[in-house]
Amino acid sequence: MTRPLLDVRELKTHFSIGRGGFMRRKSLLRAVDGVSFSIHDGEVLSLVGESGCGKSTVGRTLTHLETATAGTAMFDGRDILNLSPAEFRPLRRDIQMVFQDPFASLNPRLSIEQMLAEPLFIHGLARDRSEARERIVATLELVGMDANSMSRYPHEFSGGQRQRIGIARVMILTPRLVIADEPVSALDVSIQAQVLNLIKRLQRDSGVSMLFISHDLGAVRHISDRVAVMYGGKLVETGKTRQIFETPRHAYTQRLLASIPRFGKRIGR
Amino acid sequence: MSVPLSIAPVFRGRALATIGACWLLVVGIAAVGAPLLAPFDPLEFDPFVRLSSPGWPHLFGTDHFGRDSLSRAIYGARMVILIGSGSVLIALVAGGLIGMLSAYFVRLGHLLMRIVDVLMAFPALLLALVLMTLLERSVLNTVIVIGIVYATTTARIVFGMTLKLKRDVFVDAAICSGAGHASVLFRHILPNLVSPMLVQASFIFAFAQLQAAALDFLGLGLPPEVPSWGNMLSEERIYVTRAPWLLIFPGALIILSVFSMNLVGDALRDNIDPRFKDDIAGV
Amino acid sequence: MALLDIRKLDLSIARGGELLPVVQGVSLSVEENETLGIVGESGCGKSLTALAIMGLLEGTAVRIAGGSVHFQGWDLLALSPEERRRIMGRQMAMIFQEPMTSLNPVYRVGDQIREAILQHRSMSRRQAHERALDLLELVRIPDPARRIDSFPHQMSGGQRQRVMIAMALACDPRLLIADEPTTALDVTVQKDVLELIRGLQARTGMSVVLISHDLGVISETCDKVAVMYRGRIVEQASTSALFSNMSHPYTLGLLGSMPALDHDVEWLDAIPGRVPTLDETVLGCAFHPRCFAAKATCRTEDPGAAAVSPAHFVRCHFPQGSSS
Repeated sequence: MTRPLLDVRELKTHFSIGRGGFMRRKSLLRAVDGVSFSIHDGEVLSLVGESGCGKSTVGRTLTHLETATAGTAMFDGRDILNLSPAEFRPLRRDIQMVFQDPFASLNPRLSIEQMLAEPLFIHGLARDRSEARERIVATLELVGMDANSMSRYPHEFSGGQRQRIGIARVMILTPRLVIADEPVSALDVSIQAQVLNLIKRLQRDSGVSMLFISHDLGAVRHISDRVAVMYGGKLVETGKTRQIFETPRHAYTQRLLASIPRFGKRIGR
Repeated sequence: MSVPLSIAPVFRGRALATIGACWLLVVGIAAVGAPLLAPFDPLEFDPFVRLSSPGWPHLFGTDHFGRDSLSRAIYGARMVILIGSGSVLIALVAGGLIGMLSAYFVRLGHLLMRIVDVLMAFPALLLALVLMTLLERSVLNTVIVIGIVYATTTARIVFGMTLKLKRDVFVDAAICSGAGHASVLFRHILPNLVSPMLVQASFIFAFAQLQAAALDFLGLGLPPEVPSWGNMLSEERIYVTRAPWLLIFPGALIILSVFSMNLVGDALRDNIDPRFKDDIAGV
Repeated sequence: MALLDIRKLDLSIARGGELLPVVQGVSLSVEENETLGIVGESGCGKSLTALAIMGLLEGTAVRIAGGSVHFQGWDLLALSPEERRRIMGRQMAMIFQEPMTSLNPVYRVGDQIREAILQHRSMSRRQAHERALDLLELVRIPDPARRIDSFPHQMSGGQRQRVMIAMALACDPRLLIADEPTTALDVTVQKDVLELIRGLQARTGMSVVLISHDLGVISETCDKVAVMYRGRIVEQASTSALFSNMSHPYTLGLLGSMPALDHDVEWLDAIPGRVPTLDETVLGCAFHPRCFAAKATCRTEDPGAAAVSPAHFVRCHFPQGSSS
């Protein structure tokens, strides 16, 4: 078996909540409490669970948006958790993140061109504006957007289009691992399907590995190779997508699956 | 947010704010064209027409040195603009930087914001008085002192807004793109502070006038020979029964201008958040 | 006569000096003890329709431009706001998507429920307190005697929604309008809340209008369904008829957009494009720019509602499904 691209061992992220101080003790929130998983090249692993289970914190810790309390995350043979911000910066190109809310994740003051050019210049992938522009046009096309959207600003786009721009900002760096944190849950049903199809197609075509974080079991089944179910900061079950959906072993996974509304089933009465 | 910021929608359907803006335009023209507009030299004494009541040729009357009040009022507009823009500039640059850096770098913030808190514990006028007594009376010092007073409130406001912006997802996204501190601060956070700071600026502009007038009145502001509305009030206050117009005219000018600035500030503020503009409940 | 009967309701929104239609010719009826589902995406007019029924459009930019709403025989649109409040307050209730913002954070939940009771009923505070306890028990809040003194932020999202339901039930309404009541909740909690609503309905005989974007939720809880797209009902039928014979391309598109849970699908049948914004005018059928079955007629003529079967209506020139 080849070495996985990302190998997370016993990851813990704890937050102290409250200010502490005089006569008050800080309490500890164990958002992620000992999580281990691995992602191979070209593989899509879904992290599924309900709100507050810590799934988003896993993604945010892996991108250094939160600080890990303990554990290791070997990315391409290197532990990324104990890198300093400066050491981690070059690796950001390889580890990219798609955010949930397409209305909050784009800076309202930057044009689409400025927004997409920024990562190119930071990572030295373009020498000048025209070179950057070429790549921006190609990437916009990849996510199904017109080249003339470049000069426009985020508020001129619908939610689905904004999420496509968010995906373009990620794909323009040709990353090796994409962490997608609820990338479709803020969108309308018909737009969700479009964006899910887009993510699946881009993943297939580029062969990028993906950590797909979601509470939406339908989307998870549609997109992932393997699924890890998270509850209360810990993984309760990991397995191939089919196995998790068809023969779930853990009681929580079973309850989760039984809760999804399905056609032709009636509640009550 | 409206990008780029344009002027027309700010005043659409706001008659009062429009009138206010027109008045401020008049003050601006008076400031720029004072030498051409003023019928007399504002500094020239004329002992023969001391304390003359309003009429031709002294429309606003004359003061106890026989100087023409209208000309002094017109030159006073220069001080309005100078003190307003000067203190706004100092308050926004100093206060803005302190607030932004304090919110972004938490440890630095603990230090800087405590200093700001201490300064804010003084009433604004008292703080200005204390600082003015340490310095000599001059236009520059007045501007600096008023700027410092309002830098504290600006720092507080910018601190709060930056804390909120810092947690916005697009800042996370920029960090994930590899953006460094300078880029996050000045490229992603600062542009989102511009419109709220513009509103803040308009209020500082207004309050600075009151502050300056108060300092002048207490004899600690601009040097007495400088024609300003506050000095006019201050110097002529003993003649309030004999020549009330000497106080009525500059007083009215101050009130009218500050009121206009506040109206324009309100209009700006209401215009800045597009969420209120396009709010259609439930759609 | 039906408990709630809406005929040709038109709603418009005032924007920039002109009136833009947001709901057009919506006709719906709800019988006693029946559950009607309204399904559609954001901006389709489903929430506005609910607000119009509740009389909650006053003070917004939305105007009722035509049509009628009858509830228990009263013509709601003809009543003055005061009459409306007096007559209707006890008969209709509404719950919203976000249970946190619907509860006042500075009051204990018990006080808020008691207020809701005392607004419509004359009883002592002691009796109201007892009734509030009963209601909390009814919505299956564990340990109601203790939770009645909790503040909203001390409860979970699911519990807050239960408190909202308790407040809505404070005066035994005949009709409960639930606008995306479970969208903000986790699936396991969603199931509990939907079961609770169904259970209460069986006990009290009230009718429910359930608004949702989720066909699965609608299918599990409703007796009949109206599918809305851009301010119009495009398909309306009993739940069983709709799910056995979807006829409007939009309804089919919504279904195709949902990933299956029990088998693998390579690509989702997504609806292309996006919902046109309010100020974009679409000639002909509003759905034609996104429709796979669109032909020349669809671009010019707005289709009327046609019956697929006696109680199954569809607004489409070329309805899909077995009957065509």
